[in-house]
Amino acid sequence: MTNQIVVDPMTRIEGHLRFVTRLEDQVVTDAHCTADMFRGIEKALIGHDARVAQQVTQRVCGVCPYGHAEAAALALEDAMGLKPNANGQRLRNLIVGTYHLQDYLLHFYTLCALDFIDITAVLGYQGRDTALLGLRDWVTREIASAKVFPASPFLPRYEAAYCRDQTLNLSAVRHYLEALPVMASLHRMVALFGAKAPHPVSIEAGGVTTIPTLENIAQFRTWLKAAAAFIRGPFQDDLVAVAQAFPGYFKEGKGHGNLLSYPFLPDANGEHHAFAGGATIAGQYRPLDLNRITEDSVRSFYSDQPDRDLKPLSSRTLTPIDWNQFQAEREKPDGKYSWSRAPRYGGEVMEVGPVARVVNTYHAGTNPALTAMVNQFNGAVGVTLADYNSVMGRHLSRLINALLILERVERDIEELEPDRLGFVERAVPRNARGVGLTEATRGALAHWIETDDQGYISNYELIVPTTWNISPRDASGKPGAVERMLIGTRIADPENPIELTRIVRSTDPCIACSVH
Amino acid sequence: MNPSRREFIQRLWQVIVAAGASSFFSFEELLAAPTAVNRPRVLWLHGTSCSGCSTAFLDIEQVSVVEILTEIVDLVFHPDLSLATGEQAVRILDRMASEEQGFILVLEGGIPVTLPHACMMAERPMTEWVERLAPRAGMLVAAGTCAALGGIPRMNGTLAGSMTLLEFIRHKGIEKPLVALPNCPMKPEHLVYTLLHQIKLGRLPELDALARPLRFFKHTIHERCIYYADFQERHYAERIGDEGCLLKLGCQGPVTRNDCMRFGHNHNTNTCIRAGHPCVGCASERFPRQIMLHAHGDRRAILHEFEV
Repeated sequence: MTNQIVVDPMTRIEGHLRFVTRLEDQVVTDAHCTADMFRGIEKALIGHDARVAQQVTQRVCGVCPYGHAEAAALALEDAMGLKPNANGQRLRNLIVGTYHLQDYLLHFYTLCALDFIDITAVLGYQGRDTALLGLRDWVTREIASAKVFPASPFLPRYEAAYCRDQTLNLSAVRHYLEALPVMASLHRMVALFGAKAPHPVSIEAGGVTTIPTLENIAQFRTWLKAAAAFIRGPFQDDLVAVAQAFPGYFKEGKGHGNLLSYPFLPDANGEHHAFAGGATIAGQYRPLDLNRITEDSVRSFYSDQPDRDLKPLSSRTLTPIDWNQFQAEREKPDGKYSWSRAPRYGGEVMEVGPVARVVNTYHAGTNPALTAMVNQFNGAVGVTLADYNSVMGRHLSRLINALLILERVERDIEELEPDRLGFVERAVPRNARGVGLTEATRGALAHWIETDDQGYISNYELIVPTTWNISPRDASGKPGAVERMLIGTRIADPENPIELTRIVRSTDPCIACSVH
Repeated sequence: MNPSRREFIQRLWQVIVAAGASSFFSFEELLAAPTAVNRPRVLWLHGTSCSGCSTAFLDIEQVSVVEILTEIVDLVFHPDLSLATGEQAVRILDRMASEEQGFILVLEGGIPVTLPHACMMAERPMTEWVERLAPRAGMLVAAGTCAALGGIPRMNGTLAGSMTLLEFIRHKGIEKPLVALPNCPMKPEHLVYTLLHQIKLGRLPELDALARPLRFFKHTIHERCIYYADFQERHYAERIGDEGCLLKLGCQGPVTRNDCMRFGHNHNTNTCIRAGHPCVGCASERFPRQIMLHAHGDRRAILHEFEV
């Protein structure tokens, strides 16, 4: 009788994550998530030029660097009292929006799909698709070889109840392969205006440094059409089919149910965001109140005091404990156990991410296209908004996000003016403070900046989506969002606890982000 | 055939039956199938990384990712691609740590030495994993600026004491052929070139003192810059959006060895300089610097280093 399941390392997420669950009668009664990496980037920024934050904070995450670029630029613009011009805003939307699309495909196909789709279905493939035939013959040869780990990195895997619909399995495996060049193409589209992806350089406070030309607009449109066909076709079909094949997963991985989001994807004037900011707590939506955000490191591997109810920018240090203290903390039953800190909103644990964007915007009623799309999918899949607090609700929300962002990108590229600079130059502000809010694909992202009398950074703070989701317990002992999602889950086979990894992956953790 | 192999194939046969594929070929056919050709095994680890190099690797277009996985190498483990998770992953890594035949170890990210607990996997610090695995590898690849030159995890003000892969193996007295591929993120073409060079020619490409392939890192960005003629004519951009050499805006081209001007990012789609932004020097030993973009009239020190 297994009474504890440890998954370490958790693969197919960003970064180093360990989680430990306690089981009674194969039901999870307790869970602890450990973010197992620390770099200390936010306080290292102190002494660097204010504009350096844009380049360095992107390197917090190689999967969602665009979010950090935008948040850093917005924070500095807030400190400057500056807004980009219309072309600058459109360029920024194009870079960030396109990157979101790439990230949704990466998450669904590369990271998650093979938790549901049975890749061994290719062994029975009898058609004429060369990609599937190639994969079939390769898997067959690998399995028959004398290798210790045949068909890696696709095997070994948890042996569990995968999808039994062979048609869906085969089409999804085909699209797993097809998605790779589409993702590369979406990154190229980012690079057209951002210079490169990952880590686009051209988003700066004041706008975007790239001057759009007739040529790169034409190139962007051409690649966009192909990507749009994949997103509206195979991606949409596969995701809905997986949701329909696993209806039970609209009941699995329920969290606290509190959802936080920031305003995201404005129009060319920087207003009327496609996704609304706000907080839904106990089913009640309220507009965003940044003063309610605090962080706490009672159970995190830092020694700074005070260690709770800290407002952003209230401390200039973040002191990691040493190796001996680290070992001692891990021995204690209530010791520190994660490099992630615990952000709270009015003391509440919040889930951030695609569900928060969808549900908060739905409640705010600010985007009729979103409302219509949610109603349509709810009818098609047979769910209600309450079911979004689940593994499959998170996947479905990513699809809704992708389809809405795609429409916005298609509009922005048409409205982009060629040969017009979308950048307003301004000296770095002295003795100033600013905050920048945006949404990475994995959720609400905020940067706070403070500068000294020379325009160098005197303090910096990041509160990042995965820090909200993967947070450890706080001073009151409340489990973090993902920890709560794991509790109550029934495990069919403790040797192959795929239920747990499906839940954790549904939140798209980015550990490098969460601990920066 | 030894009994354990037969047993292993039997287990896989059960998977095939469960997949509904058993009517298409038999257990005997599976036993008789030809043995796969040996491809070099690659083991990919994340130190204190952001996964940017892994993400960039997926963007490779010279060859397809699928071809790399099925025809060029045998990727025994990758943190972002492997279906194996938890204990299954640890079993693979433990097994590789006891291998006699070499494999290619790719490390992305830094190795924190002062704070070894700043990067843990399966309750062991990354220092220990690299110390166990590197001696068993036939070749090491430091993927990206963090592993190759230090980069972000040891920027001024960080506390973890991050080492590059080359520094770390020297520190531990491990001698192995090593290729360093700086760039933030690593250019996937550089990795594929390095792998193909080793596989097709049986040796590493020619390297400089920092283990960077000369093919990509012989020249600075500046030496091959599209604005080099402007530089010679002293035609400088004064503001973002101006034509001309970007040196006065803080361009790091003169101190950054990289091949962006020959083959830009994302399959030569663009470069930072073509995007109107000075080079931030992401492949340089000095990355990240204190100032990366000078607004017009910004007199804070940095330009004197380039002797404009």
